[in-house]
Amino acid sequence: MPFRFAAHVLVVALVLAAWAVQVVAQQPAAAPPPWKQGQPAEMANSPLAPVAQPPAPKPASEIPLNKIKVPAGFKVELWASGINNARVMIWGDKGTLFVSSRVAGNVYAIVDKGGQRELKTIAKGLNLPNGIAFKGGTLYIAEVHRITKMEGIEDKLDSPPEMKVVYDTLPKDLPHGWKYLAFGPDGKLYFNIGAPCNICLPPDTHANISRVNPDGTGFEYWAHGVRNSVGFDWHPVSKELYFATHARDWLGEEVPSDRLDVAPKKGLHFGFPFCHQGDILDPEFGKGRSCAEFAAPLLKTGPHIAGNGVMFYTGSMFPAEYKNRIFLGQRGSWNKTQKIGYRLATVTLRPGDVPKYESFAEGWLDNNQPWGRPNYTVQMKDGSILLSDDYAGAIYRISYSR
Amino acid sequence: MAAAALPASAADPEAGRRKSGPCAGCHGPDGNATTPGMPSLAGQPTMYTHWQLIKFRDGRRKDPQMTPFAEKLGDEDMADLAAFYAAQPARARTAGVDRTKIDDGKRIAEFYHCTSCHRAQLTGHEQIPRLAGQDLGYLVKLIRGFKDKTASDLDGTMTMAAQPLRDEDILALAHYIASLSP
Repeated sequence: MPFRFAAHVLVVALVLAAWAVQVVAQQPAAAPPPWKQGQPAEMANSPLAPVAQPPAPKPASEIPLNKIKVPAGFKVELWASGINNARVMIWGDKGTLFVSSRVAGNVYAIVDKGGQRELKTIAKGLNLPNGIAFKGGTLYIAEVHRITKMEGIEDKLDSPPEMKVVYDTLPKDLPHGWKYLAFGPDGKLYFNIGAPCNICLPPDTHANISRVNPDGTGFEYWAHGVRNSVGFDWHPVSKELYFATHARDWLGEEVPSDRLDVAPKKGLHFGFPFCHQGDILDPEFGKGRSCAEFAAPLLKTGPHIAGNGVMFYTGSMFPAEYKNRIFLGQRGSWNKTQKIGYRLATVTLRPGDVPKYESFAEGWLDNNQPWGRPNYTVQMKDGSILLSDDYAGAIYRISYSR
Repeated sequence: MAAAALPASAADPEAGRRKSGPCAGCHGPDGNATTPGMPSLAGQPTMYTHWQLIKFRDGRRKDPQMTPFAEKLGDEDMADLAAFYAAQPARARTAGVDRTKIDDGKRIAEFYHCTSCHRAQLTGHEQIPRLAGQDLGYLVKLIRGFKDKTASDLDGTMTMAAQPLRDEDILALAHYIASLSP
């Protein structure tokens, strides 16, 4: 009897095991990793893949500054190095430069003591803490799932205060879950909630730019159909929001273009996932739609070029024509055989005409191999600018003299 | 320049060998561990090992044995150790492999696109680890950790990938992966 019972169990187990294998075999394929999602079957063996982030910053001695080309009269110097995965930079009231990172999970503070720059890590182990903003002595930090604040941080850099939650009713999706964070002219905190995919019909809660009061109340969506914008700024005069967006991958080497947009009012839809670059309907999600339904791009910035930081220049050091010009950090392509970007561009707005779009600083790409990836800019008091490089873990200073 | 943050100079595998003494007890003198449950480091991509050490030091990856070691390492030590282990030939870790699970494991690996990142023979590259020929118990523990969202990964890719796996899938997958030549 015991034997018969065991045999019976064995038969059931075998049947179940065979069934389980069949279920696996009959299902459509599981979702691929996010970066490969949306890749057409005929490209399954494409060697293209995201550029791996180095685990450590480059030593100063290995940063080939002389390869960076800027217009005549401008000069590039290495302002700080050894900052793993340096991303967004923001000034404190008392002269501290706060620097975020993404995959390194850190937030840093750089204190300038008479030309000697000291780097302190004020937070670590965070969930892709790309977004930082500063106001009234308080540093705000945006991770994937929450926005927190550190009050009075500049007086407590060696023993940072606790991170108090400002807002945490946010999706936890990791693809495009990291945020840019900035105070608008209305005193509200603006940030992106990216599409949780390369290409998909996102839930209503995703693919937007949103805003919330600094006390965590009054959350609202500002712009829709924005696949992922990790850089924006407001025009110094018109106070309108300008933002860069990364377009989808795997649609081709030369399409779709990334874009620079303006969202002067709440509620505009910028096309994702239905229409890309203002004039290409998505092969899957564009069916039955028209690009005319959506806000057209202000500027097509190039395929896969990855525009990150957007900053209007308001200083007085650079020549007069740079006043109110946009500096656009372009971290550079991976979904393209011949890489583009890896540079700092400028965009000059011309009312009634298309914007003028030019490369400003380039040279981080060496024979199609990057040695650095320029990202975000911030102005110094003297009107020079700092530019972060998350690949080399460095910050450059760009100044001008005639 | 920032004195408090001197970055690693170019990695030196020989210096890494000299510094690897305390690691040898668990991971083997050449990074080929023999104790069940201990991962082999031999032949792992430099970037992968370096990132893991940084994560242990930063507390983003936690392990009662590894954390105290990693907390003492400087950036240069990490670069040297990672370069040393990357240069060591890896040996297979087939102890405990149940060959009857291999076919299922292979199907599951294909179904869930493991090769998209880990490459066709699961040999890894850059920040993505070599899985082929890794220790069975370690693989099971790590994949279960990703499924439970307690094993930290760089950008969430593995945590997402592990969510649909049932425990029997994890076991089959681990037996298959451990059976491969490194």
